[in-house]
Amino acid sequence: MRHGFAFALATAVLLVVPIEAAARPPAQQAAQPPAQPASGLPRTPDAKPNLQGIWQVLNTAAWDILDHSARLGVPAGQGVVEGNELPYRPEALSKKRQNFENRATADPDSKGYLLGVPRIMYMPFPFQIFQTPDYVGMTFEYGGAYRTIYTNGTPHLKGPLNFWMGDSRGHWEGDTLVVDVVHFTDETWFDRAGNFHSEGLHLVERFTLADPDHINYEVTIEDPAVFTRPWKMSMPLYRRKERNVQLLEYDPGLLSDQDQAERERKKTN
Amino acid sequence: MKDRYVLVVIALIVIITSSWAAAQQPTPGTVGGCPTEPLAFHLCALDKAKTFNPPRTPSGKPNLQGHYRARLAQSYSFEGVSGSEPQFGAKIMPWSLSPPMIVDPPDRKIPYQPWAASIGRVGENYYKYLDPRTGCAQAGVPRVVQQDPNQILQPPTDDYILWLFEDHHMQRVINMNQRPPLGDSIKLYNGYSRGHWDGNTLVIDVTNLNGYDWLDDAGNFHTDAAHIVERLTLFDPDTIHYQVTLEDPKAYTRPWTIVWALVRQKQSGFELMEEPCREGEHDAKRIIRELGVKYYFGESWRGH
Repeated sequence: MRHGFAFALATAVLLVVPIEAAARPPAQQAAQPPAQPASGLPRTPDAKPNLQGIWQVLNTAAWDILDHSARLGVPAGQGVVEGNELPYRPEALSKKRQNFENRATADPDSKGYLLGVPRIMYMPFPFQIFQTPDYVGMTFEYGGAYRTIYTNGTPHLKGPLNFWMGDSRGHWEGDTLVVDVVHFTDETWFDRAGNFHSEGLHLVERFTLADPDHINYEVTIEDPAVFTRPWKMSMPLYRRKERNVQLLEYDPGLLSDQDQAERERKKTN
Repeated sequence: MKDRYVLVVIALIVIITSSWAAAQQPTPGTVGGCPTEPLAFHLCALDKAKTFNPPRTPSGKPNLQGHYRARLAQSYSFEGVSGSEPQFGAKIMPWSLSPPMIVDPPDRKIPYQPWAASIGRVGENYYKYLDPRTGCAQAGVPRVVQQDPNQILQPPTDDYILWLFEDHHMQRVINMNQRPPLGDSIKLYNGYSRGHWDGNTLVIDVTNLNGYDWLDDAGNFHTDAAHIVERLTLFDPDTIHYQVTLEDPKAYTRPWTIVWALVRQKQSGFELMEEPCREGEHDAKRIIRELGVKYYFGESWRGH
């Protein structure tokens, strides 16, 4: 049941997110020095790197963020995690193994859920970035999802809140867009392999335009309830260059309803 | 067994919460200085727009950016509620008296072809199918525009306009850069939206619709042959005249037009919340079974 905003609020109140994650100012979390301003990059009228356009990863992270051999329907792939290791707490590691065993039905992707961040960023579907001085908008072909990254200096909402896509507040460090994300649910995974997080997930994403057609995307993951230390993923985002490129719609939940309705119709006819 | 019916009733009550929110009675008074009866509002707003000079973006385009909420829109039926409908005064999900939102044709009814009139307008759709919005489908154009707050973003590059909706966490991308049409065989819930400026009016041309959505709670509908043209005109600093013309050679005898207002949300710090629906209506299957209705996937499923 999801319709009522009242229900969403009630859920939010019941599921408590650690306040300290929200209260910490974004600037202190990403203490790296600003990237060197690169010349020759496309820029918006307010002189920020112009990240706008349609982008997509070319990797297998949506299936498994770590090194993995091929499985039926899953291409083999090299991991996107720095050090190719996830620092699970022991009890969390057994949950990860259980998730993997049950992935055919337990994966949020199988249920048609919003996939959350960061997984939505590396699904094998295109997404589009829009920039105004106050907001960076992202729309995703997968699930018709969107993200609003506030670059207007506003802090995270007080919470507790549980957003599938999190609460994203960004700022520019030189030519890098740095985004702090909190207020998650614990119902999304990092990949098909069952790597997971709690609702205390805290992300710091860094988007750096390397050249007009590539963004270096890095994300640092912090979740003390599940991991013993922060860890990091990085990958390039590639600009889709087809002349007619355009986001279409892929909504697994609706497609699954339609599939079922088709089967029932055949049965009754 | 009795418990199951109680659960269905509870489910229905929760499902309609947001419909009710969007379906409040027109408030007495004025909207943007215009009367609240939709036809009178329409004429007044267009008249004001002739002399109103809207705020501009740095590149000189009308600046529509901001958060808006629909007014003069009710979700029951675009044809209005006269009091003779079975849902008028019902114990559950009652409809209230409402003027038609249709401003053309003059009889303010949807100009259905004969076969289609008994399907929309509290007909076959309403009684035999699950409202697609209840099943968590995309509400479609223009139904999404009357539900909950929305936000318009205009990147200064003028190549796209982004329209974000709180309802069901939906978004629309309006192509402003003269992109080519999509192939006819690609069908989308929200269609393919291409926009341009006609003076101070944002005109959005929507094609490639799959026809899986309904227009309102009464089951009024279009098919996958529909072509929708939306016109957004600021006629005072905080009010948009929102006009939608639908044509559909499979279902209607002529194009028809509805109008409502989008009013700026001026509370400081107002933000869209996340109100998604992708996890689905958990009770949809039970409702379908117990009410004996079916999923709705467009007119072609009926064999027309």
